[in-house]
Formats: sequence, C-alpha cells, structure tokens
Amino acid sequence: MAIDDISTLIGRVSLKDRAAFSALYSQTSPKLFAICVRILKDRAEAEEALQEIYIKIWQRADRYVSGGPHPMSWLLVIARNHAIDHLRARKPVANTIDEAYDLADSAPDPEKTAINAAEGRRIDNCMNELEADRADAVRKAYVEGLSYEELAEVFGVPLNTMRTWLRRSLLKLRECMER
Amino acid sequence: MTTQNPESGDSRRDQVIAGEYVLGVLSADDRRKVEARMVLDGAFAAMVNHWQNNLSSFDDAYEPIAPPPQALVSIERRLFAEQARPAVARDGFWNSLALWRVLTLASVAGLVTVVTFSSGMLTPTNQAKPLVAELTGDASATINLLAQYDAGNGALKITPVAARQAEAKSLELWLIEGDNPAKSLGILPQTGEGEIIIPLELRSKFGAGVTLAVSVEPFGGSPTGTVTGPVVAAGKTRQP
Repeated sequence: MAIDDISTLIGRVSLKDRAAFSALYSQTSPKLFAICVRILKDRAEAEEALQEIYIKIWQRADRYVSGGPHPMSWLLVIARNHAIDHLRARKPVANTIDEAYDLADSAPDPEKTAINAAEGRRIDNCMNELEADRADAVRKAYVEGLSYEELAEVFGVPLNTMRTWLRRSLLKLRECMER
Repeated sequence: MTTQNPESGDSRRDQVIAGEYVLGVLSADDRRKVEARMVLDGAFAAMVNHWQNNLSSFDDAYEPIAPPPQALVSIERRLFAEQARPAVARDGFWNSLALWRVLTLASVAGLVTVVTFSSGMLTPTNQAKPLVAELTGDASATINLLAQYDAGNGALKITPVAARQAEAKSLELWLIEGDNPAKSLGILPQTGEGEIIIPLELRSKFGAGVTLAVSVEPFGGSPTGTVTGPVVAAGKTRQP
C-alpha cells in the first residue's frame, strides 16, 4: 500500500468520509490487529482494543499532518499506545519515573562504533552494539509490551538489574543514533 | 517532570524516560505524566517523537493478522450510532466518584472549544476577528468548554457544558507561547458559569498560534504556579 494512498484516506476520514474510513480499515487493520494480539495476548481483548483504536482514528484523523510522520507509523503509534494503556490498566505495574535512575556512563566499544559509523545510523546497527540479551530485552519490551517485572522474570535477573539494563541500553542507543 | 537544562544529567534522564514511554514499560500513572509533560514541554515531546521514529522499525515484527469480520460492523455501529446521540455526558458525569480518578489516572477525554477574540489593538473595534481553539484530550468521556474572550475588557467567559463537580479539584487554564513556561490564566469556575479576567500583561499574548491547556489541580489551583496535575486538554488558537 503506497504511503500516499493511506495519507489520502486519512485526509478523507478527517472530513468524515465513511467510505474512506472503511477502506482505511480494510487496508490497515490486519497490522493494527497484530499489535493488539501480540501485546494483549487475548483475542477478545484484542478485538475490543481494535474497535477502540479505529474509533480514535476516526476522531483524530484531522490531527494527522500530511507530510508529517509516515501515515502508517501514525496509525501504529495510536494502536500501540492504546494496547499498552489497556494492558497497564489491566495489570498495573509500579510507578518509577519519580524515583532515582541509575544512569552511570558506559564507554562505547570503539571497534563496534567504527563499524556502526561506516554503516550509517539505523537503529538495527545500534542494537548490534548492545549485548545480545539486552538488545533482546529492549525488543521484547517494545514488541510484546512486557513490563520490567515480566522482563526480569523472562531473563532471570533481579528487577533492579533489568531496569538498569534497559535504561543504560536506551542511553547507548540514543548516543549511537546521534553519533 | 519539569523542563531540564539540555546539557545536564537530567536531560539523560529525560531521554531515558521518553524511551521508556515509547517502549511501553511505564505504569499507567507514569504514562499520563509523560503525556501531560509532552503537551507543555516541546523539547521533551521531541525526544519522545525521536524515540517513536527510531524504534518504529521494530514494528516489522508484527505479522498482519486479519481481524474477525464483524469487527468493522461493530466499530461503525459504535461510531455512527453514538453520533446520533447528544455528544455530552450523561447526567451525573461531574458527580461521578470515578470521574476524578479517571482524570488523574487515565488520560482524559476532552474536547474543549475555546472562542476568543483577538486583541483590539490589532483590529478596529467592533471588527475583532474571533480565534478558535479546539482543546482535545484523550479518553472515553467528554468535557465541553465554551469560552469567549472579550478583548475590550479582558474577560474570558468559560462555560463547561457539563459542570457540576463536587470533588475537591479545580480545572486550571494555561496559556503557552512557544517553548515558554505555561502561564496560568486562572481557575475555571466550579459552577460552570462565570468569567476569568485575563491579567493585563497577558492580554497582548492572545493571538493565533498560542496554546491553551487545561490541567487538573488541587482545589483552588496549582499550589506552585506551574502545572502540577495531568493536562486534560490542550490546543492551539487559530482563525476559524
């Protein structure tokens, strides 16, 4: 599906064009449903979430700025945020952002840095600079919506260790992307 | 959650919090705080968008799955059947015990329409061009506010369409110009009928493109003079 087509459909949906909404749904819902299923891990909840997501899309289409983010990304962000919100409401996790963060500096590996610089700054290259299990944890958090508690369990490390893993990994990724 | 010096260690912390938000590991409460701050802090919002763009290649992991065939029918029924009904709030909305919990813990749904009139200094009197801002939040419930700004006497009249809240919270209106800190315009009347008089020094700032935001604050307004509660609605003024 061409970018322009989705962008045009979103534009028409913003004008409350129901046919365009139906077309947008048929072209994009399998991807958005996949997000719901993967994050919520329950078909009935995923379907409920999908309905709410398309209701939001209908209501917010006028806020899509054409020429802004990729239109599909715009839809995926709405879907992921909704699915994550649904999950966190169902299974609450600890509040953390007002606590102290352990963000000690970590020196980048010069050899890997050189490789990365030569290959460009794609996130995949930067992910390769992380230790394999940490990169895996970052990816699982994003793709499956796992909480710190669940990640700690999956990787068999204490909760605080997992928090430190992910936070330092985020800093390394940021530093790599900006290099 | 306030704006930090970009070179400080707090900026690294902000980067991490923005990344944690996009990864999805934060609690519901923390997610609302991040979203409230994104409304008010452009630099922080840019960090979040950056992460969003950077991590979006992980979306390739989602292999498309066809949703059940009846899903679209249900969506259209919910969407277009609801449109036929009155847009706002069933009776008791503001008195609902759950309401303020919703305001605090979940993102709130707000559609706030603000109509203002540009400063009389720029246009001949009696020909003031109206400005409109749709302040939109996010959730299942709806708050409608209608505001009219009279440039002549600086009175901003606010009428919440559904306003009978009995809880000890106030809605505070903020003016945000570019990246400047939010300036309080006052507390929205608890009764739903009344006026906010815009301070003289702020009247000249009313023009197209400024952001108006509404936050939930302790009764009587923010104790600190800056936004402390979740932002329930925000939007930019524009010529209608």
